[in-house]
Amino acid sequence: MHPAKLLLSFCQWALNSPFGRGVRDSTWLFPAIEICHLLALGLLGGTVLILNLRLLGLRFQDDPVAELAADVWPWMLGSLTTMLASGFFLFSSEAVKMYGNAAFRAKMASLALAILFTFTIHRKTVFAEEARIPPARRRLAALISLALWAAVGLSGRAIGYV
Amino acid sequence: MLWLEFLQWLHDTRFSATIRDSIWAEPIIETVHVLTLTLFLGFAVLLDLRLLGVCLRRRRVSEVLRQLNPCLIGGFAVMVTSGVLLFSGDPVSFYSTIFFKIKMVLLALAGLNVWIFNATVGRKVAEWDLATATPRGAKAAAIVSLALWAAIVAAGRAIAYALPPP
Repeated sequence: MHPAKLLLSFCQWALNSPFGRGVRDSTWLFPAIEICHLLALGLLGGTVLILNLRLLGLRFQDDPVAELAADVWPWMLGSLTTMLASGFFLFSSEAVKMYGNAAFRAKMASLALAILFTFTIHRKTVFAEEARIPPARRRLAALISLALWAAVGLSGRAIGYV
Repeated sequence: MLWLEFLQWLHDTRFSATIRDSIWAEPIIETVHVLTLTLFLGFAVLLDLRLLGVCLRRRRVSEVLRQLNPCLIGGFAVMVTSGVLLFSGDPVSFYSTIFFKIKMVLLALAGLNVWIFNATVGRKVAEWDLATATPRGAKAAAIVSLALWAAIVAAGRAIAYALPPP
């Protein structure tokens, strides 16, 4: 099957699934889930920002990066999971419309990149022994992470406007 | 009523009309307002989690406050500025929604919570700076803060649903 067709049939399945129907048929479920999505955005953004500000040498300069990362990592995972789950419910209620939404596509693409980067290079950078990673590379990892998550946020905001 | 007259006057200013009539102003200001949640809400939650003794435990509370406060103040300034701009674009409609009034009351309560914390248990932070089991007063301030900010976000989102369509 062609990948685009596969994606479209996934969207159709989501739309007609109990999740999609449930959210669509309720007046308050969509706003309620959207509020959860926003609250999780706050915490996910906070953990991503604090780690990257540390990598840039702007906050918590006296604390080892790995220690700070160990502290905030579980909260980042928790808020990311909440965002993915609430995001899926929101998506399912209008999945086929989202399939054709350019901003939504951009958001999913940048989200995939942001997650990939976070759990590979970024994780290695923050948990590595500090002496082993040159400062320039730490700063670069922080800037890439910030750019990728900013792209997710901005394209997410654009979904409602395009 | 003087207040409603003021809102009507604000609505009729050229400044308000510019925000209202521009295609770009509202999406840009609202995007700034929403995405600054990552800085302001995110850092407020991190601070509250430290006050609860569940995150950043190895760091002194006073140090966490010192590191996060400039970002919190900056984030709050962006939130208030973008919020006032959004409100200015359509003050009468905003004020007509119950959620706007609720949000303003909750914001005042959040401010009061910070003031009480600073005046009581926060003032004696040196006595419990490294404690993972933080004092009851600090935990209470954190829980009140988390509940209020969650409700403020909810009320803010509800305003957009309650506003008459443009």
